Amino acid sequence: MLDENIVSAILGLKLSHGHPIPFLFTKSSELGKWVFDESVRYPLTKILIKIAQKYPDQKIGVVVRGCDERSLIELFKNYQLQKDKVIAIGIPCSQDLANRCRCERPFPSEIEDGEFAKPVEDYSDIEEVEKLPEQERFLYWMSQFGKCIKCYGCRNICPACFCPSCTLEDENLIKPGGMPPEIPIFHLHKAYHMADRCIDCGLCEEACPMGIPVRRLYRKVKKAVKDLFGYIPGENEDEKGPLEFLGDGSYELPGTGK
Amino acid sequence: MTNSIPELEESDCILVTGSNTTEAHPLVASRILRAKQKGATLIVIDPRRTQIARYADIFVRQKLGTDVAWINGLMHIILKEGWENKEFISKRTEGIEELKKELENYPPEKVEEITGISRADLRRIAEAYAKAKNASIIYAMGITQHITGTDNVISLANLAMLTGNIGKASSGVNPLRGQNNVQGACDMGGLPDVYPGYQSVTNETIAKKFEESWNAKLSRKPGLTIMEMFQSIEEGKVKAMYIMGENPMVSDPDLKHVEHTLKKLELLVVQDIFLTETAKLAHIVLPGVSFAEKEGTFTSTDRRVQRVRKAIEPLGEAKADHEIICKIAKRMGNDSFNYDSEEKIFEEMTRLTPIYHGITYERIEKDGIQWPCTNSEDPGTPFLHKDQFSKGKGTFFPIPYREPAEIVDEEFPFWLTTGRIGFQYHSRTMSGVSPSLQKEAKEGYVEMNPFDAIQLGIEEGEKVKVISRRGTIEIKTKLSFNVGRNMVFIPFHYFESAANVLTNTAVDPISKIPEFKVCAVRLEKIEEENP
Repeated sequence: MLDENIVSAILGLKLSHGHPIPFLFTKSSELGKWVFDESVRYPLTKILIKIAQKYPDQKIGVVVRGCDERSLIELFKNYQLQKDKVIAIGIPCSQDLANRCRCERPFPSEIEDGEFAKPVEDYSDIEEVEKLPEQERFLYWMSQFGKCIKCYGCRNICPACFCPSCTLEDENLIKPGGMPPEIPIFHLHKAYHMADRCIDCGLCEEACPMGIPVRRLYRKVKKAVKDLFGYIPGENEDEKGPLEFLGDGSYELPGTGK
Repeated sequence: MTNSIPELEESDCILVTGSNTTEAHPLVASRILRAKQKGATLIVIDPRRTQIARYADIFVRQKLGTDVAWINGLMHIILKEGWENKEFISKRTEGIEELKKELENYPPEKVEEITGISRADLRRIAEAYAKAKNASIIYAMGITQHITGTDNVISLANLAMLTGNIGKASSGVNPLRGQNNVQGACDMGGLPDVYPGYQSVTNETIAKKFEESWNAKLSRKPGLTIMEMFQSIEEGKVKAMYIMGENPMVSDPDLKHVEHTLKKLELLVVQDIFLTETAKLAHIVLPGVSFAEKEGTFTSTDRRVQRVRKAIEPLGEAKADHEIICKIAKRMGNDSFNYDSEEKIFEEMTRLTPIYHGITYERIEKDGIQWPCTNSEDPGTPFLHKDQFSKGKGTFFPIPYREPAEIVDEEFPFWLTTGRIGFQYHSRTMSGVSPSLQKEAKEGYVEMNPFDAIQLGIEEGEKVKVISRRGTIEIKTKLSFNVGRNMVFIPFHYFESAANVLTNTAVDPISKIPEFKVCAVRLEKIEEENP
């Protein structure tokens, strides 16, 4: 694709000193260092936003798993990327990774090579917490949130977080400082905000240095949105999210796609 | 650290003292919390109820500067109950009788009175620590920054040896070193009395080895520590100073005195990445480089030597620190400072340093290696003192308790302790220029107990005067039950309300570390001026 000028560059992973890192391949001669590595996942589509802002006219290829593709759809919908400037190169996940992720769609719509893993429908992580008596459930979450060191890692890695100004840093909503930050409001704010955007990739939980099960929280909220509105983020490009639909237009954020 | 950060996860009991782990060493904290989740008992002993203290099975506050007393108190109980590890003591240690004799002076009632930790809590802590299969001790500067810093550390070592909690995985005595490379700086010989790898300057064989390699005559006398340097400036013995990546105008005790002393120098050179408060006083400022512009190695707190690689070329006039040093050496007429790469410097160091002998850039291309690593086959050492201590048997040193250098009195009735917050970094040279970090924590504060505030008629957020024998600062209050009665806490990062204007310069007799963690202050309301 690079040689045929279908794309100007491809965003993928390369091996650097023994570790896979995101890399923008611009020459086919560099592709020797290309790696597929399931042990490390990066939010490539989020990295692509920055690249697209800098080079809005270039067409760029990006390697996508099922979750990455869902995030692309959300990013197109929210004008963060232009559809005709992105070419998705689909790769499937192994069944092992799909199981670990409890992923309901461990593959993109088209794959270049390999086999589709079977979807996993497993909400036992949420059920485990749901069956606790209310008081214990409250204590469970408060004790998890209390570990937070407010590093914003969950937000920074999230391929569906892209607002130019973040509610988590809005002084009127959440007091600056604090280790832990104000709980539970800090985490609930993010959960509410992600309710119709979370594409359930789980990178947030992987990134959390304190081991807070944030994905569990977002999955719960996502499930509520699915049950109430029948809406699944990242699935249908033409369908608006219910919070956006009900909202006041503040969701229409400036981005290269607009 | 005697042990490794990842090993903490498998520990059965973790005693954290003088470490605000989640804020200062979050990745270590995450291992501690994982161990806790797996069922480990977490004990936190700290004058402040830190974030990690909320997760402790046992949390107690000691009075400031009474660490030797509670550690001796724990050992007293352990011996009385027969919870010590007799086999370890007889095989691996010496001096137990002398220790026992000293420990007789620390019955629980007396320790309770000195430290404020109840005898019931002392017993619970002693039992949990001594009976655990693998127990780890974690400490940071809350233990070392005292005139009894060395005594505190020796006491913790005594406690670990008494219970056999050293020389095996997931145990040990684990100081959390600051920054990313304080360990590496010390390993490289950034101390006044040793060459790289802690080889003594007073040892003739070692000195000769370095003389031969460097083709120079070297002194057999240890140099000066920071506090001694400042004293020598006062005495007119030190006339010039070359400071690299350090900002004593914020980070040293008794700042008024620091400023006065630095101004006496005939020549002050500061090498840093920003114009720090100290650099502003310099005659010459040399532009160093940031981590992103650097090649070399960083050594983490668990002795892991890791590669750091340049992401961008040095900006502007900045140069790598070693380049600046070599250029100065050349101008001073020495032409042996010739290294065409960082690797060459590393090779020279490993050749002369037994604990680094087996480490090469090639071997740490992907992942780091923990020293000691003495030859090219040696995989490195996750934990120290496995079959024997470096000197053979481990010696118990009996340590009597000494009071802090400054005690509260009528004039200065509050204890002051200083420390860090997670959003700022040391003297804020770097974190102070980050808008997002500034947003989280833009100014200093004095944390005080709400009951004390009521008594003094002070409200949350009110600006007050904090006064010690050294100076006065004006600072906002933050009321919190995280501190006990009659004590206050100030993060030292902020030049505008610098805690170190107040702190005491009294030092530990051996390590010469100042007592940043204890001094006496009083708080005053700022009277509103009537127009």
